[in-house]
Amino acid sequence: MVILNKDKLQKNDYKFVNELLDITDLNKAKIIVPKILWKEQKKILKEKTEKIGLQINSDESIDDIVDDLSHFSLVQLNFLSFRDGRPFTFAKTLRRKFKFKKEIRAVGHLLPDQYIFLIRCGVDTVEIESQDEEVWVKFFEMDEGLYYQ
Amino acid sequence: MYKYSEKDKNILKNRTIEFKYQVERRLNGQLTEDEFKPLRLMNGLYLQLHAYMLRIAIPYGELSYLQLRKLAEISEKFDRGYGHFTTRQNIQFNWPKLIDVPNILKELSSVEMHAIQTSGNCIRNISCDHLAGINNEEIEDPRPWCELIRQWSTFHPEFSFLPRKFKIAVTGAKKDRAAIEVHDIGLRLIKKNSKIGFEIFVGGGQGRSPFIGKKIKNFLEKKNILNYLEAILSVYNELGRRDNIYKARIKILVHELGEEKLKELVEERYKDFENKELELSQKEIKKIFSFFKLPVKKSVKSSLPINDSLEYKQWLSQNILEHKVNGYSVVIISLKPPGKPPGDINAKQMYGLSDLSYKYSFGELRVSHEQNLLLPHIKNSNLYDLWIELKKLGLSTPNVGLISDIICCPGMDYCALATARSIPISQKISNSFKEYNSQKKIGNLKIKISGCINACGHHHVGNIGILGLDKNGEESYQITLGGTATENAKIGEIIGPSFPESELMNALEKILETYKKNKITDEEEFLEVFNRIGISEFKKDLYGNS
Repeated sequence: MVILNKDKLQKNDYKFVNELLDITDLNKAKIIVPKILWKEQKKILKEKTEKIGLQINSDESIDDIVDDLSHFSLVQLNFLSFRDGRPFTFAKTLRRKFKFKKEIRAVGHLLPDQYIFLIRCGVDTVEIESQDEEVWVKFFEMDEGLYYQ
Repeated sequence: MYKYSEKDKNILKNRTIEFKYQVERRLNGQLTEDEFKPLRLMNGLYLQLHAYMLRIAIPYGELSYLQLRKLAEISEKFDRGYGHFTTRQNIQFNWPKLIDVPNILKELSSVEMHAIQTSGNCIRNISCDHLAGINNEEIEDPRPWCELIRQWSTFHPEFSFLPRKFKIAVTGAKKDRAAIEVHDIGLRLIKKNSKIGFEIFVGGGQGRSPFIGKKIKNFLEKKNILNYLEAILSVYNELGRRDNIYKARIKILVHELGEEKLKELVEERYKDFENKELELSQKEIKKIFSFFKLPVKKSVKSSLPINDSLEYKQWLSQNILEHKVNGYSVVIISLKPPGKPPGDINAKQMYGLSDLSYKYSFGELRVSHEQNLLLPHIKNSNLYDLWIELKKLGLSTPNVGLISDIICCPGMDYCALATARSIPISQKISNSFKEYNSQKKIGNLKIKISGCINACGHHHVGNIGILGLDKNGEESYQITLGGTATENAKIGEIIGPSFPESELMNALEKILETYKKNKITDEEEFLEVFNRIGISEFKKDLYGNS
């Protein structure tokens, strides 16, 4: 998998962890944790000095993490299905209401056909299969002239 | 009529290229059918019982003579020489081949048409009062607002993967001809303290759980309409149910949360729009309004031609409405001749009507949600000549508003979801009430027929609603009474056990008998009698006392 930012690949600094035990050196790694882990281990994770990303699945809510937003250097929206459009509203709300300025990343079951929808809702990066890069970039280049909003 | 800007043209051109690319990716296996489906639906392409079906958007029901001519050409070149107008003012072709679809879309784009927003879980084509701008009682012409909402909603980045489809209807009049209270959002322009704004209804809809929309805003300043719509859609996209397709419409969310809670959530979200990014400026509003100026401005002295033909007189009294401008009339073209599927029109009729629109109606036509067409601006003195020509085309049936002016879905003859046929039922009814006088005696009566519980034929809001069911492999028809989609919208009540097709006409006769014997004056309409005496009288006569 690779991380695409607009039409360029971006180095992935983050490691996704499901449990605290998975983190070999808590203070050096940049990690992304699922919301459930954040909620359980908030106290320990808040003491962590390096950057923390938070993953929110498309069937979860953002309401119970908005007070913690200042702790995150990244919010990762995980599409359980490309049909589940809730993360579009999560991204828009994070930007519009909560003025979240850091990186928003989309991962999971996504279609390149949704790339510009994502960008226009405030998503910065997407995680994709490396062989799909060309078609994603093609959609990025189609942006001009496909939208009113 | 609205004319495309360079931006509109460009978007349409690029969307056609995009769709071609998506078809290619489907054909070479880069997209699974599951992934391709919502993408083809974004371009109006359904897979039905026997073939693909392409639904073409007619935004808020406005059509030019050139567009109708193009539809005629497409029906001949790529389909079977006819099309079908729907209850959301669109047209559908029932037999296109997948391989031809990119070409059809290309041809459509040459006349500023497309199939965007006609399917899928997005904000659908905006529908509107078919008498917008040409009736005397409206507060303001709703068409420019429909166009502003169209531009905002088309391929909306946030709202293209909603829990379910989303339909918006707009009217500018107190009298509701657009069925706004059975839409996901219904908007009505109203005047309050000499200011014009919107009254907003949310959560109306039909299908297996019918609801009348709830009014969540008494008055909203016009310039804020897009911000408010965005707030409603944002709440729905986040909270609408995705676990069960039958519970995914906003009506269920409104029902489960309660009207007050939904209102509170929407208002709260509306407050977040501090940047007012979607607030419309006077300049923008004025610019859009300039497209919708009426082609007839001044009153003219033009009287109705007199002729002894009985048929002509019947047509004059049934299919002609007053125009806002003196000396002109609005002509309704019934697409419900006896024995034909409601809403169907063949290529010859489309060509003919296109010419008549050019000759007599400034090139404009309209589609009503009741599946009829309109020639909106006819000089009174031309009415007889027009009637003669419509008669030649088989388009002069004088039955608007009467028992044979039926709304009907395609049913099991075409649709993959249907549980029973609906067109043959409509044909039986229109054949048995062929005579104008027998229909006139019954008076205004709206029959609406759906071939399944999804209710595309609006049976819930028919004065008499007929729903086709599958009962142990046999087609069976359930009757509802008392529904209406007007400003006093009401869901019809089920009268009792359903009837097999063979007994349905007899049941209908009995219902009409109950009406006739209970009406106090000749003028008292079916719905008035029903509202006065209630369903029990009808039930007693239909099923006996047992």
